[in-house]
Amino acid sequence: MKAVILAAGEGKRLRPFTETLPKVMLPVANKPVLEYVIDAVKKSGVTEVIIVVGYKKEVIMEHLKNYKNIKITYVTQDKQLGTAHALLQARNHIKGPFIVLSGDNIIDQKSILNLIKDKSEYSMLIKENPQPSKYGVVFIEKGKLKEIVEKPKEEVGKFISTGIYKLPKSIFAKIKELSSEGVYGISSVIQSIIDKGETINTIIADLWADIVYPWDLIHLNEAMIHKAPSSVSGVIEKGVIIKGGVSVGKDTVIHSGCYIVGPVVVGQGCEIGPNSCIFPSTTIGDNSVVHPFSQVRNSVVMNDAHIGSSSFIKNSIIGRGSIIENNFSSVDGNSTVEIEGEFKKLEKIGAMIGEDCNIGSNVVIEPGKIIGRKCKIAPLKRIIDNIPSNSKVM
Amino acid sequence: MCGIIGYVGFRDANKVLIDSLKRLEYRGYDSAGVSVIDKKQQLFKDVGEIDVFRKNLPNFKGDIGIGHTRWATHGGVTKDNAHPHLSSNKKIAVVHNGIIENYSKLRDNLKNKGYNFLSQTDSEVIAHLIEDNYKGNLEKAVFQALKKVNGYYALVVTCTDEPEKIVGARKDSPLVIGVGDNENFLASDITAFLKYTNRVIYLNDGETCVISKKDIILLDENNKPIEREENIINWELKDAEKSGFPHFMLKEIYDQSETVHHVIRGRISEIDRTIEFNENVEILLKNGIDSIDIVACGTSYYSGLVGKYLIEKLTGIPVNVELSSEYRYFGTRNESSLVIGVTQSGETLDTLAALREAKSSGCKILVITNVIGSTATRISDAYILTQSGPEIGVAATKTFTSQNLVLFLLALKIAKLKNKIGADELYKYILDLKELPRKVRQVLDQSSEIRDIAFQLKNSKSVFFIGRGINYPISLEGALKLKEISYVHAEGFAAGELKHGPFALLTKITPVIAIVTNDSTYDKMIANIGEVKARGPQVIAVAEENDTEIEKHADFVLRFPSNSNILSCIPIAILLQLLSYHVASLKGCSIDKPRNLAKSVTVE
Repeated sequence: MKAVILAAGEGKRLRPFTETLPKVMLPVANKPVLEYVIDAVKKSGVTEVIIVVGYKKEVIMEHLKNYKNIKITYVTQDKQLGTAHALLQARNHIKGPFIVLSGDNIIDQKSILNLIKDKSEYSMLIKENPQPSKYGVVFIEKGKLKEIVEKPKEEVGKFISTGIYKLPKSIFAKIKELSSEGVYGISSVIQSIIDKGETINTIIADLWADIVYPWDLIHLNEAMIHKAPSSVSGVIEKGVIIKGGVSVGKDTVIHSGCYIVGPVVVGQGCEIGPNSCIFPSTTIGDNSVVHPFSQVRNSVVMNDAHIGSSSFIKNSIIGRGSIIENNFSSVDGNSTVEIEGEFKKLEKIGAMIGEDCNIGSNVVIEPGKIIGRKCKIAPLKRIIDNIPSNSKVM
Repeated sequence: MCGIIGYVGFRDANKVLIDSLKRLEYRGYDSAGVSVIDKKQQLFKDVGEIDVFRKNLPNFKGDIGIGHTRWATHGGVTKDNAHPHLSSNKKIAVVHNGIIENYSKLRDNLKNKGYNFLSQTDSEVIAHLIEDNYKGNLEKAVFQALKKVNGYYALVVTCTDEPEKIVGARKDSPLVIGVGDNENFLASDITAFLKYTNRVIYLNDGETCVISKKDIILLDENNKPIEREENIINWELKDAEKSGFPHFMLKEIYDQSETVHHVIRGRISEIDRTIEFNENVEILLKNGIDSIDIVACGTSYYSGLVGKYLIEKLTGIPVNVELSSEYRYFGTRNESSLVIGVTQSGETLDTLAALREAKSSGCKILVITNVIGSTATRISDAYILTQSGPEIGVAATKTFTSQNLVLFLLALKIAKLKNKIGADELYKYILDLKELPRKVRQVLDQSSEIRDIAFQLKNSKSVFFIGRGINYPISLEGALKLKEISYVHAEGFAAGELKHGPFALLTKITPVIAIVTNDSTYDKMIANIGEVKARGPQVIAVAEENDTEIEKHADFVLRFPSNSNILSCIPIAILLQLLSYHVASLKGCSIDKPRNLAKSVTVE
């Protein structure tokens, strides 16, 4: 069986983290979400994946160049019109029944296996969700799908569509037909199939997780990090204490006096310490440096980041390539954050710093503030508002 | 250059050979051929690309055979001149990479003995010469034949009388053995058989080998058996595939976000503030260095010029950069000089000859290369690997960047050893190095903006690149990239030199690409742009992100990340690689296989 993975989207609500990365490449426990999806389909016996790429596709192709034991074919969706339109780009590579998944949702292998094994021509994975109004809510009768309602205004049901389907090849003709009427979403195509009398089996997924907002990266990291294999390579100097499940990548050096309590993932080529503390559930990306006497807890530090001495980072995201000087502090607490015109109430949230920022020494960021990409913040500043990308705080 | 492959084992030889030839295609590609033994030598040769060749290849049966992709040196591009060449009795088949210097004399002798020649190549001589020496044992015949040959070669030979074995021999041309289970390989390059095995044995100059399904026998220059250990190659076949990119060149340009880490990782420590190389390099550098000669060809030569600037600036040691092909015949030798050879493949013949020449003059040799186990690493006193993974695109991209970075690390190390820079200054450079990957990423992220500017150059007949200081060799390299892949005439100049001649060539339709960095050269570059503009051409400036002044002077501006420092040349070079790529892509050129060019030049 082949799998089509949709990975063309930009993820505007995840800015600034998606300004140079497609949404599917956001890291969870030091691994892009897309890789979780490919891992799961590979383990379910899929031998070939067709990845529909678009926004910043080179980043995906460059990252997956060393991915082993599965054939990867890329097709490009030039304009991000919708999920059905994205799927349509893969039509020339599909000969029989196939599965389609979204590259930005983490899914487990067992659920995919259940989907593949299902006898029905059309089947889909569904999942209970506490915030169904963000998704396509599904109505089910005796295990068959009755209706999908996209982002309903009222609370109407608790199960949502995961966007993962098993479909026959004939779906492409239907998508083409509907796209001429301006319908570009898979949900709408499925709805029209039901309306014509087809039956669609629903299967409840075991593990399914989505990233919608930047802070979801912290929560998903916390949820997934214990699944990362704990293996320690690199150099661990004398006097380092490591407790619990900790993974340290090759060419990394943990200097003397560090205290690390898992679950923690430290990538390759990092330098930590001396005398720094990393507490659960923290991921430090590849080639990052954490200078002496700093403390990082329940945070996501992405690749190539630099964290100065005596810094305190909690419930925060540090974007890749960001350079933070000494005595930085992220204050965590409650906050209301505005994203694309929506207001979200958050608890226990720290700072969210986009990629390639330069943050001077002794900067303090108040809870829930989002710093855009390539911002420069002068020393001794207290940041009380979101800062748009490419800004300077003098 | 020419690519050769031999296979013996349990698979369909035809399939293995064509697959390997496809992977060797980048070495040279005007014609190709294979021969597979099934009682007799089944031979097929043709002119043109491998994909067409694959379609026309008859379905030969057999599990032993040899193949060749040719890049013409002796004799034109014809079917007859393609390899393999057969002996007169049609029993022996030979593929050859190299040059037989005394071939016309050998040819006359063999003709007098009644041997019948079908091609104009020097290589065909070897087939007849082996037949002439054949008395029932192929390796002996090869050994005897090669005694009479002057020149250099990598050879792979089969004979229908001994249909279980392949004989290989090398002198000054690359040949490696791929060790499989119940199958073995011989090829000029590891990528040819990497799909089947990552275990290799390197053959040294003057040695012969005999491979069969189960056995590998190595023979020294006196035909005595010798033992040698296998090496495991860490490259993945996936490294040698395009993984979704339309061209290897574009993939390799994007690879740089990762390969810059490979150079730095394990060599510098931000916390400990140290730079470390392998033991041999450390010993060589601690010996005290008074002067340095860098020898290299092509893009590696331009990297040498970048190295000159870096080493002289940081250490004060004089550096002399020479083209290998000149150094080997001309110039003076100072035995106290450290000679640094820069070669991506480690097999560039001119550079190898220059290094041997330096060695025989008593100089210590340091090699910067991408290929572990290559000839260059074996004739050196110490070597530093660029660790870029295989580079398949003929136009060097990621290896240029890695070579420059290695030279920078080397300059820092020497400066530290000689106390030319203090601990704080060293730390500042280490931080610059650690920040480099993000600058590389930012340049790559601008690909579509660079493509927009490429439209300006698409129809140009001639393009000038100008820069000062370290950006002068970057201008030379920028021009070389454009020439190589887009066939646009391009020249790089030191910006101050324009008025001493090249101005005569400037017209309204000659775009000038000017590299402008915010350092001591800035005002001079602005003045040079003014001089150019006064003569009518369009100026495309490559300038810092926060340089707002430049827009007043240039027609178009391409941006690289700010904070000019000595390392800015690396993002600038990558920006120019993308520019050349997009020009070539817009023109529809054969980017990975530009006409008349070969990846590693293993002939003189």
